[in-house]
Formats: sequence, C-alpha cells, structure tokens
Amino acid sequence: MAASGLAAPTRTEVLQLYRSLLRVARQFCDYNIREYTKRRTIDAFRDNKNLTDPSQLSAAFSDGKAQLEVAKRQAVVYSLYAPKVKSIMDIKPS
Amino acid sequence: MASKLLLQTLTRRQPTTIIRRFSTAAAVATPPDYEDPSGITMKGVKISGRPLYLDMQATSPVDPRVLDSMLPYYLSRYGNPHSRTHLYGWESENAVETARAQVAALIGASPKEIIFTSGATESNNISVKGVMHFYKDKKRHVITTQTEHKCVLDSCRHLQQEGFEVTYLPVESDGLIDLDRLRKEIRPDTGLVSVMAVNNEIGVVQPMEEIGIGALYMRRRPRIRVEPQMNGGGQERGIRSGTVPTPLVVGMGAACELAMKEMEYDERRIKSLQDRLLNGIREKIDGVVVNGSMERRYVGNLNLSFAYVEGESLLMGLKEVAVSSGSACTSASLEPSYVLRALGVDEDMAHTSIRFGIGRFTTEEEVDKAVELTVKQVVKLRDMSPLYEMVKEGIDIKQIQWAQH
Repeated sequence: MAASGLAAPTRTEVLQLYRSLLRVARQFCDYNIREYTKRRTIDAFRDNKNLTDPSQLSAAFSDGKAQLEVAKRQAVVYSLYAPKVKSIMDIKPS
Repeated sequence: MASKLLLQTLTRRQPTTIIRRFSTAAAVATPPDYEDPSGITMKGVKISGRPLYLDMQATSPVDPRVLDSMLPYYLSRYGNPHSRTHLYGWESENAVETARAQVAALIGASPKEIIFTSGATESNNISVKGVMHFYKDKKRHVITTQTEHKCVLDSCRHLQQEGFEVTYLPVESDGLIDLDRLRKEIRPDTGLVSVMAVNNEIGVVQPMEEIGIGALYMRRRPRIRVEPQMNGGGQERGIRSGTVPTPLVVGMGAACELAMKEMEYDERRIKSLQDRLLNGIREKIDGVVVNGSMERRYVGNLNLSFAYVEGESLLMGLKEVAVSSGSACTSASLEPSYVLRALGVDEDMAHTSIRFGIGRFTTEEEVDKAVELTVKQVVKLRDMSPLYEMVKEGIDIKQIQWAQH
C-alpha cells in the first residue's frame, strides 16, 4: 500500500531496525512497557521472518520504523514522569 | 489531603506559607509525598515497590502508542472541533472524524452511527432511558439481567419509577442467560432488551450474536431514535450535547485501531496467561472455584473464590498485587457482590472472591509472582483457620449449628 514504489529493505537494514527497537525498549523506565516493547518486537520480527514479497517486506519495514519513532518519543515522556519507586517486579530480592 | 495541609499550616500560623503552598501545588507536578526511594507508605501499609497490576477491569494503563497520538492535541492542536471559523477548529474536527471512523471500523459500523460520550455509564443511560422515553407511547416494557452493570440497573429503576415495567432476568450458575427464558419474557410492548456482552466482574461473555454497545453505537437502519439526556449546543447529532474533547476522542480512535491490529496477538497471549494463573493456583491449593462460565469467558478475567479464607484478610495480605474483590463501583461496601449472588454463589464463597484482570502489558513473571503471593497468603490464612482444620478432619461445616449470640 503505502510501501509501493519503495525498495525492499536489505538484511542489514532489517537487523539494524530490530536492534534499535530492542535498544529503545530497554530505555523505558516502566517495567510493563519495557517488557512489552521487547516482547512485541521479538514476536513481530519472528512472525515476519518468512516474508519474501518485496512490497510486504517494505510495508513491514516502514511500519517498524514508525513504531521505533513512537517508542523513542514515549521512552522520553515516560522518563519525565517516572515514579521514584520502581515496580516490585524490578526490585531484585537481596 | 488539602484540608489536612491547611490544618497543619494554620496551626503553625504562617499565613504566607499557605498562599505559597497552594499556588505551587496546583501548577507543578510535584511527586506525591507518600513515595521515597525506599518504598511507598500509604493507608498504613508499607510496600517496597509499586504493586504488580492485575485490576484491568477497573482500568488499564494507556498504551504508549495511544498516548503518542493524543499528546499533539494537548499541545499545539488545541482547537474546539466545533469551531467553524479557523484552522484550529478544522484540524480538531478532522481528528475527531478520523477517530469516529476508527471506532466504527473496529465494530463494523458506519462512522455516522458512532456517538462520543463520557463513557459506558452515560452511553447506557442514553440507550436505556433515551430509547424508552422516545417510544413511551407504544413501548412500556424493558428486559435486562440481574448481573448488569449498576448504570443499567439504576437507569431501569428510574424507568420503573416513571411507570415502565422492567423484567430482571435471572442468570444460570455459570452467569449466562437462558435464551428460551428470554424469548418467553419478550412482549409486544417490550421496547428494549439490555444485556451486557462481557460482565465487568466475572468476565462471562453472553451469547450476543443470538439476541438482537465509551462510544455509543446507534443503528441507523432500521433507525433507532432516542431522547437526548444532555441538552445544549446540539453536538453529536443532538444526541449528546457538549464539546467533544479532541485529545480523548483521538486516543479512543487510536486505541480502537490498535485493538484491531493487535487483538489476535493479545488474545492468544492473554489466554495463555489466564491458563497459567489458574493452573498455577490450582496446582498448589484446593478449594478454588472459578466464578462464572470458563468456556464462555473473556480471556482477561479470572474471578476466583477461595474456600475457608476471609476475603478482606486475603486482599489485605496481598498488598503487592493490585487486585480487587469485584467491581470498583461497588467495592466501598463489605457486602458480597450482587453479581455473584445472582449466580447463586454461597455467601461464604462470595465473600472470598478475587477478580484477577490480565491485560496487554501483563508479563508471565507477574502472573507467577501473583500465584506465589496468593498461594502463600491463602495457605497462611487457612493454617490459622479452625474451620479449615475441621474440614481436613472430615467435618462438614455446613452441618454445624452455630450458637446464637
């Protein structure tokens, strides 16, 4: 759809996007959002692993890039209002 | 809180501080004073971290993708969507109409059939009272169920006071309605059958496709008309006057679009978490009963009763898990839930119910932690309970004649 006319991404570009999404996931101070972003990224790339059609490939790639931009902005927003106390899930029993 | 502050400052007799405190409190997002890096102290309870959240039927966290769509309308794009004379109004109007289309797409309706309201309570008030008031000359009868949300039940009660007749259909022990019984109750002057699709307490899914829905869906063909409950500027086709809040509506639209994309993925995952929670608890303790049908159930809900423990003590002991005993709307009272009573759940079991709500952001680790903490607390309470000891010895406690005080 929107991707028509766009060239399919290279393997390097796909891997780069995957790593960037996982990196921004780690930046979320909120436990649940952090875990979700990580999980959703891994699952989405796994689901799209066997895509070969160039137009589908570029559609998935541009969707992932848009998600990366949202995640980058939101990681900042979340950090601005982070509660002082962490989730009990983030507190390691000592 | 404010009055306490006032009292403290007044007794110190420093009128200048009063003015300063109040002026800054309202304008700046200061961190709440019950939090410090070592933990949270509130209502006499000290917790080392923020509790894991399993109360998704009370409310759920906003998805960051949804918030991302809303923020621009809180910042530069603040126009009133009903303003006709400038860009601010036009861009907000476009955003509202896009959101309307997103909501409509999710439920397979036309955008023209979507009315934005403040929420489910208002939607149900418009539906129940609005329909019956509009058709009051011909239709005098309403059917609903005993397990409906309070906003429907109270709207029905209101109609009863105006002389309408209301049938409160009982439910089976699994929380579902009997369709034959419903058929029998329908009369020529029945104007409305109101049955909720997913119960907010026990999560049972009623057979909606077999009977005849924050936004209100109003079918246009055949046309349903209602009498407005809010009168004013005639927004939302005159059905719901009042300025439509652009950021909220944009968020709702984005949430609907996201739901459409993510529903399959989320449902698969949440179902596995629901199984994990139930199996985890059942593996370790007995006397656990699921309230409501397990076959026809919304996957994000698990309402459990724990035999031989007292519900309040269980909830008090579960401070690191945010759950509730039922609906937040009625949690102020110690009375067992009217929904569970309509299912025919015994008084003692209705008192020990816990509603676990699982959502898109719930993790497996949280479910495991919730299982661990719940089991620990139930075992602890049962060890202290003479009743449980008697049951283990084989005494049927239902047969005991308790002395009258």
